[in-house]
Amino acid sequence: MTDCPDGAVRDLLPELVNDRLAPDVRRRVDAHVRDCADCQQEVELLRALRASLRRVSVMDVGTIVSAIPAYRAPRRSWGGWRAAAAIMLLAVGGTSVAVLQRENTAARDGGVSAVAPSGRGTSPIAQPSRAPTLPAIQHPAPELALGNPAIDELNDRELATLLAELETLEAFPSPDEDRSADLVVPSPAGTD
Amino acid sequence: MTDVADRADSRADQGTDDELIRRWKSGEQRAATLLVGRHADSVARFVTSLGVRDDVEDVVQDTFVRAFASIDGFRGESRLRTWLFTIARRLVLDARRSERWRGEQVEVQDGDARTDFDPLDAMVADEAERRMHGAVARLTPTQRQVFGLRVGEGMSYREIADAVGTTEGAARVHYHNAMRAIKELLDD
Repeated sequence: MTDCPDGAVRDLLPELVNDRLAPDVRRRVDAHVRDCADCQQEVELLRALRASLRRVSVMDVGTIVSAIPAYRAPRRSWGGWRAAAAIMLLAVGGTSVAVLQRENTAARDGGVSAVAPSGRGTSPIAQPSRAPTLPAIQHPAPELALGNPAIDELNDRELATLLAELETLEAFPSPDEDRSADLVVPSPAGTD
Repeated sequence: MTDVADRADSRADQGTDDELIRRWKSGEQRAATLLVGRHADSVARFVTSLGVRDDVEDVVQDTFVRAFASIDGFRGESRLRTWLFTIARRLVLDARRSERWRGEQVEVQDGDARTDFDPLDAMVADEAERRMHGAVARLTPTQRQVFGLRVGEGMSYREIADAVGTTEGAARVHYHNAMRAIKELLDD
């Protein structure tokens, strides 16, 4: 048995015997096969092989179907909603922080300096730029007010002292100050 | 086993695979019967071509159970039959990997020149057909899978590549090598 030299048509013969060719392609292939003895032989062989291959066992449909569970629609997943809500919350929170930081920056550049003169204080609290931690903006006065629950218990004199001390504090570090040098990066043990 | 004649329903009357899936999801159990009847034998032939001997029916049943259980995962990007073949192949490979079937199944590799699998020998009376079965059985496992899908099912190379886990080009080469080998064996 010899092969037809038209490889493109020969490649379509399995689909021809399985009746899977588009009508226009089928007409073209049929026309070729009518005039090609090699392809006729191959089609004959393919039909015989197909019949032989398809004669394998017949499955028991009833047994298979009985093992198939009834359809259950996929459960509505609330996990996705939770994730979306969490993302939204983070986005809103992040935006709020950004807005607050912008406002703080604007305040530093403008009116706040008039309220809080930039004189260097003597209190350790007034040395934020020397802190061996991350150079986050510090707000010592609000922390004092809000973070100390006993502040209401101070008498007038103590409050006056506290206010006087606050007057000496630098309200905010200078925005132009390069503070990257303030970062203290711990050296790995044994390298110093 | 049932008789082929039991499934003489006209395919046109049954509806497309997608329609049957929709009907089954809406509670029509008969739609599942029609789908299984339409594809079970093809899946069985494919499983057989993978070298499974004694557990073909179990694998086919597992394939359908798995497919129907995850039917929402079928996006219709391929034919349902191709998707079923993919599931069946995965089941067979998983079973072999888990060694559950070790000793019962023959681990077939492409390097094997032939397999001793031919369940129809006893049933095939015709000498010419027996020779054809012998020729197909002598193909390498991958050639036999590709050849079975191409000639037995009429699948495109793209569909074969998806089902067998290879490339379109490789499927084409396997088919033509298989065809050449069969012709040589039959010409001897």
